[in-house]
Amino acid sequence: MTSVSMRRVDEVPDKELLARHAQGDPHAFAELVHRHRDRMWAVALRTIGDPEEAADALQDACLSAFRAAARFRGDAAVTTWLHRIVVNACLDRIRRKSVRPATPMGDDATFDAVAPKMPDPTDAHGVSLDVSTALQQLPYEQRAALVLVDMMGYSVDDAAQVMEVPPGTIKSRCARGRARLAPLLVHHRNRREHKNVGGVEGGGMPK
Amino acid sequence: MNPAHLDYDVLADLAEGLLEDDEAASVSAHLDTCAECRDLSADLADVSRILAEAPVPSMPAELAERIDTAIAAESLNTATVVSMEQRRGRRHWRILSAAAAAVIVVGGGAAVGSIALDGADSEDGAAATPPQDSSASAEVGPKAAVPSPAPAFNVARSGTDYRAGELGSQVAELLDSRRQAAAADPAGPRLRGCVYAVTQGKAPDLVDEAAYEGKPAYVIAARGDESGKWNVWVVGPDCSAGDPGVLKTLKNT
Repeated sequence: MTSVSMRRVDEVPDKELLARHAQGDPHAFAELVHRHRDRMWAVALRTIGDPEEAADALQDACLSAFRAAARFRGDAAVTTWLHRIVVNACLDRIRRKSVRPATPMGDDATFDAVAPKMPDPTDAHGVSLDVSTALQQLPYEQRAALVLVDMMGYSVDDAAQVMEVPPGTIKSRCARGRARLAPLLVHHRNRREHKNVGGVEGGGMPK
Repeated sequence: MNPAHLDYDVLADLAEGLLEDDEAASVSAHLDTCAECRDLSADLADVSRILAEAPVPSMPAELAERIDTAIAAESLNTATVVSMEQRRGRRHWRILSAAAAAVIVVGGGAAVGSIALDGADSEDGAAATPPQDSSASAEVGPKAAVPSPAPAFNVARSGTDYRAGELGSQVAELLDSRRQAAAADPAGPRLRGCVYAVTQGKAPDLVDEAAYEGKPAYVIAARGDESGKWNVWVVGPDCSAGDPGVLKTLKNT
């Protein structure tokens, strides 16, 4: 979609767009979504894994944000607020859809059944596909924290605001998630070519 | 697991500053002497790097379209509520024709002869068409939401069922064929308010009562920033100056 850039509106700050929307400006909210949709999509897709579910979650999120805009109090960045709504929409979807009970944090069981039927058609590089698959091995909370902090570049404090938990909780979820991902992503590291490169079964890793 | 060595969990906690001071000190001391554990520590740093380097996927076009449509529909619903809550006291123009939808094209070139402009602002289209709606401006309505010098224009009824994917070409075809001239009536005050709110004061070149995705809607379009390009809007049948309820916007199509 290249035709959507609206020149004058482009310079309007997010908060102003949101305020205009709350006052009934019919273009303001669509513009806000256009502005941030790729990042919102990235968060939803990586957090949920399945593209169709992610699409549904993102649509839910956009409509929730549309309706909740009047209650936005301006104490956080609009992007923080938007991503919070996206993350919550993803969590709602996951809870509603999950066949198995919610995965308790810190549970070291393997999640073979959760391994998604990827192929993400938007992805031509094998790297991202492996990363996505690996991410799906994590409990939701760890995954969402890593998506925000490591993938989207949020600070721990900002991610804490998005997820509405203390910063220490974000740190801990990130640490748990990285520890779990480290053996799964071992084949991405050219640094380790002296060990079993390309070995799918990572036999060289101490456990 | 070799108790002498560290595991990913401890190292990840160390990296995040989550360890107690004494534990952090002993872990650091071990790292100083153990290359193998330093390797593990580097693995963790690599995890963050690999995640950061994963390409950001663009939102698929169909999804973008779908969300736009959903927002537009929501917009239409909400407009009614907003108008009742926020604009009490402001006079409401009732829907004159509930079944109708209109396409309005603004800007345009000399080719569009079917729009009656009784205003003075158009250096191209106005001359081609005799003013035929001068009476309409007298009833411009109770509220100043409508720019006062806004010229009147006619509403065509082409019978087109506009589709999201073809909106641009459908409008262009209509402008070319001038089919909209077949049936045209002066726009009422509510519709005029709607159009000028949406076009931000530009005079329309085409206003077409029609359907959009099978439903009554007003479609509005104006001359774009580049010559030969058009801005097109689709609005719902309830469109008014205060609540345009835009369903779809095409810029410079």
